[in-house]
Amino acid sequence: MRKRGEEYLTGNLTAMIDVVFQLIIFFVCTVNMQDKAIDDSIRLAMAPNGVPVTRKELLEINLDVDKRGGVYLNRQFVTRDELGKMLTKIVLENPGKQIPVIIRGDANTKHEAIQKAMDACVKANIWKIKFAAFKERG
Amino acid sequence: MARQRKKIEHHPGELNLTAMIDVAFQLLNFFIITSHPVAVLAHLDVFRPSPDPVPVPRPRPPPVIRIEIFPDRMLLNDMQVTMPRLVDFLAAQASLDARKTVLIQCSQKSLHGQLIAILDQCTRLRMSNLSVISST
Repeated sequence: MRKRGEEYLTGNLTAMIDVVFQLIIFFVCTVNMQDKAIDDSIRLAMAPNGVPVTRKELLEINLDVDKRGGVYLNRQFVTRDELGKMLTKIVLENPGKQIPVIIRGDANTKHEAIQKAMDACVKANIWKIKFAAFKERG
Repeated sequence: MARQRKKIEHHPGELNLTAMIDVAFQLLNFFIITSHPVAVLAHLDVFRPSPDPVPVPRPRPPPVIRIEIFPDRMLLNDMQVTMPRLVDFLAAQASLDARKTVLIQCSQKSLHGQLIAILDQCTRLRMSNLSVISST
């Protein structure tokens, strides 16, 4: 029972909640959305001597090729024809620009699946292709 | 007995600015994050030479190192090799001329990891002319 003259010690939490919300907004806005477009289920091969990726290109296209040979563009399954059409559209929308295509193939994928992705790139006049691999496994 | 009324104390000239400062910070945060810096343009003068009227003989293209990858074996210039032997050969070639073209031909059933392993070795040896083709 509260006695007369006894007071609870209360603190003003407004400032702390302010700061918490500011931090939440900051992290929500600065979180890299590109990382969400990467499929973690794909086990990339190791390339310890590869050149580390320091910066991302603006017009970078990431193609995922899973273990079963499925090709994904932005985590959406695409057929060979669809992929070819999409890549051609991107190339036509960006005339004169070198569009880097990065193929993230599972180490245990058969080459025929990778070939499917590469053929689509070549059809779209993209000749420069990069393969993604782990330099160091996280 | 007369009920005592609670007295509410009013402090003249006191205004709670917390909410307003909250909103101000939210807006500041939003604009800082969404704003883009203004691009600064520069004009760089270059000289474009006219084409040479006398045709210059082109140098002979460097020889190609041909590697074929199968699920169970590898061929180097049509000869079966193991990975250590292949690496030794590539190292020797790279020490002579790292600009040599390496043509890697993958069979349909070969694993992507095999290709990456060879590309990784080529990268280590600073061989940059790498081409990947697929056998039908």
